[in-house]
Amino acid sequence: MTWITFAFREGLASIWRRRTSSLLAMSAIAMAALVLSSLLLVTSNLERVLRGWSSAAGFSVYLTDTARSDQRGAVEAAVDVSGIAQQREYVSKVDALNRFKREYAELEALAAALQSNPFQASIEVLVKTERQGGADVEALVSALATLPGVADVRYNREWIRRVTNGLSMVRRLGLLIGLIMTAAAALTVAAVIRLAFDARREEIRLMYLVGAPYRFIRGPFVVEGLVQGGAGAAVAVLVLGVGYRTALAWWGPTLASLGAVDVARFLPVPLMALVVLGGAVVGSACGFVVSRRTS
Amino acid sequence: MSGRPIIDISGLSKLYARGLPALRELSMAVERGEFIFITGPSGAGKSTLLRLILLQDRPSNGRIVVNGYDLSTLSRAQVQEYRRGIGFVFQDFRLIPAKTVLENICFVAEVLGMTESQQKRRAFQVLKSVGLQHRMSAYPSELSGGEQQRVAIARALTSDPSLLLADEPTGNLDPDLALEIMNLFREINAGGTTVIVATHDRDLIRLVGCRTLLLDQGTVVEMA
Repeated sequence: MTWITFAFREGLASIWRRRTSSLLAMSAIAMAALVLSSLLLVTSNLERVLRGWSSAAGFSVYLTDTARSDQRGAVEAAVDVSGIAQQREYVSKVDALNRFKREYAELEALAAALQSNPFQASIEVLVKTERQGGADVEALVSALATLPGVADVRYNREWIRRVTNGLSMVRRLGLLIGLIMTAAAALTVAAVIRLAFDARREEIRLMYLVGAPYRFIRGPFVVEGLVQGGAGAAVAVLVLGVGYRTALAWWGPTLASLGAVDVARFLPVPLMALVVLGGAVVGSACGFVVSRRTS
Repeated sequence: MSGRPIIDISGLSKLYARGLPALRELSMAVERGEFIFITGPSGAGKSTLLRLILLQDRPSNGRIVVNGYDLSTLSRAQVQEYRRGIGFVFQDFRLIPAKTVLENICFVAEVLGMTESQQKRRAFQVLKSVGLQHRMSAYPSELSGGEQQRVAIARALTSDPSLLLADEPTGNLDPDLALEIMNLFREINAGGTTVIVATHDRDLIRLVGCRTLLLDQGTVVEMA
């Protein structure tokens, strides 16, 4: 394993000799990795929240103030007959007002000042997990909207779909930006390694002439890229971690008051390792390509 | 392999840009253990021939077989393996200025895969063989031209090559040092290594007295 020792010794020495340009290459990798890992952090958390909401997806049938009990009964019967409901609950106008007061305690004064109760009675339906998103749910929602005594039907699946689509677009855009930044970072790393190659041109020429195996010739450049890429990505994960902690310190109480204390979770260890590994792979690939192309 | 020549060249041609010929239909054989001079005026094709043998360049036509390797069929990895059996010495020494004499030798030994103790042992052996074991910690800039060339020769011997190529090895040295270097090549040759020296110095050839290949305009005009 002489060549591994040689590759690491020469690669690390080269980084130290050109520490300013090496730092530049590491920063470029760190920026790209930061964008990608931030994207991972945001989207993975939002996806988890959306999954939670989706699993609790249902619809609310709002009744007119003049709706009679037989009309309400017809709505409930239609829901029961369909077999899609995991749970059904009638929320009266008074219940709706009380719920508002409970959930938005800071707006209590506003609620107290109301001349009349503006909330509508409703029937809230939680759809069975296996039936969510099905055409029969859509058909039932449409049918319920036409029943007498029904003012409106709000099916929250629709907006979850919209948010999911929006999230998917954000993910694609972020991925594109991340890839562009990764390509730019790779070019920077390649340029720095190229400088190292030029500085050692005579040694490399000698290595070729004496018949040194390719692993001795290319190894130091692969190691140089590996260290720059891996260290840059590790710095990105570290910066993201600090940013995450700071954000939690600032906005944690707000999230807790919204009952969303579990919303934000940091990247799991395997994902962090993947980001660092990705940086190392990009860097070492740059080292390999540069040493191959210039040989 | 003992019956076959170490170098067997047939119909070798090399054309440079705009079709200028550096070598034309050259055929020759070098026996194992031989000492041979290649001489001729500037531009005769001496260095080109050595470059082709060392596979620093590819021929336009013809076939070169060295140490049983047909050079036209070698892959990149095989080229490196083939070169490990050849030592080379250049006119300008090509030592690494930032490394000491010992480090220059150990560097080559290391990239040939030797362990640290093997590197040092081999470096001492080859430096002793060129009489420079006492200058191991000197830098190239602290050595005379003759000493630098002897270090370059020691470095060429590191892999214990069966063939040693030297391209104008005395070009930068005065006549006394040139003869000293030639005597060193003779000693190496006496140890069984085939030596090919390209030089335009006819006086030196007369003093050493070996088989000589005279090239002119890319072709053999005389064999003596």
